[in-house]
Amino acid sequence: MSPLNAPESSAAVRGVGIGLRAAHYREFLDSRPRADWLEVHSENYFGDGGYDLHVLEHVRGRYPVSLHGVALSLGSADGVRQGHLAKLKRLVDRIEPALVSEHLCWAALGPRHFNDLLPLPYTRAALDQVVAHVTLVQETLRRRILIENVSSYLQFRASEMSEFAFLAELAKRSGCSILLDVNNVFVNSVNHGFDPVKALHEIPEGAVGEIHLAGHCAAGDMLIDDHGSRVVPPVWKLYQKACRRFGSIPTLIEWDTSIPPLEVLLDEAAMAARISQAEYA
Amino acid sequence: MRELASLQARFGAGLDAQDLDADAPEMFIGEAAHVRNRFGIYRGNTLANATRAIEAAYPVIAKIVGADFFSGLARQYRSRFPSQNGDLNEYGESFAAFLAEFPPAGEMPYLADVARLEWQVHRAHYAADPAPFDPARLAALSPEQQLQLRPRLHPACRVLHSAYPLARLWEVHQDTFSGEFEVDLSRGPTHALVFRPRFRVDVAQIGDAEAAFLGAALDGETLETALTAAQSRDASFDLGRSLGGWFGTSVIVDFKLNGG
Repeated sequence: MSPLNAPESSAAVRGVGIGLRAAHYREFLDSRPRADWLEVHSENYFGDGGYDLHVLEHVRGRYPVSLHGVALSLGSADGVRQGHLAKLKRLVDRIEPALVSEHLCWAALGPRHFNDLLPLPYTRAALDQVVAHVTLVQETLRRRILIENVSSYLQFRASEMSEFAFLAELAKRSGCSILLDVNNVFVNSVNHGFDPVKALHEIPEGAVGEIHLAGHCAAGDMLIDDHGSRVVPPVWKLYQKACRRFGSIPTLIEWDTSIPPLEVLLDEAAMAARISQAEYA
Repeated sequence: MRELASLQARFGAGLDAQDLDADAPEMFIGEAAHVRNRFGIYRGNTLANATRAIEAAYPVIAKIVGADFFSGLARQYRSRFPSQNGDLNEYGESFAAFLAEFPPAGEMPYLADVARLEWQVHRAHYAADPAPFDPARLAALSPEQQLQLRPRLHPACRVLHSAYPLARLWEVHQDTFSGEFEVDLSRGPTHALVFRPRFRVDVAQIGDAEAAFLGAALDGETLETALTAAQSRDASFDLGRSLGGWFGTSVIVDFKLNGG
C-alpha cells in the first residue's frame, strides 16, 4: 500500500490543540482539560517504559494525539539514521497517533548529532535527497507524514529556490503533507527580509494539514523562535490570512520554554479558534 | 550529494569550534560579521540543548558543585563527548568517566561515583514496565523446585558499589529531603540500590548480603545460588523477609522457571 493511499487519520484531528509538556502532566491525569487535541515531541517518548509513556498512553485514549519529531534529520547528506527511525516506528505502533510530523532541516552528520533544527540549502540536489528520505520514512511507518517549515537565522548562497517553493515541491513529489508554522514564516520574513504573505501563496492551497503557532523573542535585528511567550499580533494576523487561504486546518499552540500555567495555553487556543472560525464560518 | 555533505560538514565544524573558519561565512548570504553573529545563535542553541540534557541527568552533581561550575563541566564534557544521539535522554552516559579524569573535580573524589549512580537513576526513569506477576503459576512447585526459580528484577533495578556512602549522598541532595544535611564520607564502602516502585525512581543503601543476593539475581542465577551468595556474607540473611520487602517495592517483579 502506498503511503498516499493509507487511511487519512488526520480526519480525526479538528480544531485547536496544545503541546503537552511534563509541567502539565498532573492536570491531564487528574482531569480532562478542554483541548481539542494534543501534540508531543516524539523523542521524549523513545524510552522502553516509565512515566512519560504512561501519561501518553493515558491521554491517547481521551484526545487525538500528534507525534512531532525534532531529531530525525531528514535533510542529512548521509541518509536517515535507521536506529532513530526504528524507535519512531516503535512509538507510532504503540500510540497509533492521529498525526506524525517532522521538520524540513538537518541535525546530524556522520556520528555527530547536533540536536538542533539546522537550515538546508534549498537546491535541487538537496530536494532529491529529502524526497528520498521522506519517502523512506512514509514507507517504514506505512503512513503519510507532515513536514514543517523551520525558523532560521542564516540563508545559504547555494539555494536555488525559496524554503516554501522547496516545501511545496517536496509535498508534490513525496506525497507528504505540510505542517505550516505561521510563527516561523513571520520570524524568517523578518530575519531574511521577505513578504510573509507572498510566502503563504507559494504553498498550494490543499497541501497544508496542520498549522503551528508560537511566540518568539527579539534579539537585535533578528527574531528568535524560542516558543516561550504568547503569539504576537502580527502572527495572529498572518494566521488569519493562512486560514483564509488554506481553510479550517488543525492548529497547535506550541510553548516549550518558560512554560506557563495550562490556562494560558488554553486561552491562546481559544484565540486561535475564534480567528479560524471567523474566517471559515 | 557532495555539495550538501560539504556544506553540512563545514556547518557542523563551525558549531563545535570556537568560531567559523575564515572562509566559512561565504556559504551564507550577508556580510561576514553579520553571518558570524547569526551563526552564534546556532552554536548557542546546540550548546544549550546539550547542557540542558546533562543538567537533567545529573541534578545532584549540579547541586554539589554549584550552577556555575556545573555549566563549565557540561561544556567541557560536550567538547570531549559530543552528542551522537537524536534522543537527548540518552546523552551523558560517559559523565562519570569524564569526572574521574577531570583534574578540577579531584578535590571531590566521590563525584564520579555520584555521577555513576545518577546515570542509573536517569535511565531507570525510561526503563520498561514489568508485566504483572501471577503467583498462581508458582503455587504447585515443591520447595526444591522453588529454589531453582530465577528471581527477575525490575528492568530499572541496578546495584552499585562505592567506597563512599553513595545512597546517603544522593538522599541529602534531593529536593524533598528535610533531615539533617550531614554526610560522613568515611562511612563506606556501601552498596546502593536503584529501584522504581511504580514510576518514581528511588535509591536505598543495602547491606553486603542483600547486594550479593540481588547481584546474583541480576546475573540470572537461581534463588538457591543467590541465597548461598547472601548467606556467605551474612549467615542470618532472612530470605522470606527480604523477598517480601523486594516484592512490595517492585525490586523483584517475577520468577522465571528454570530454563524457561
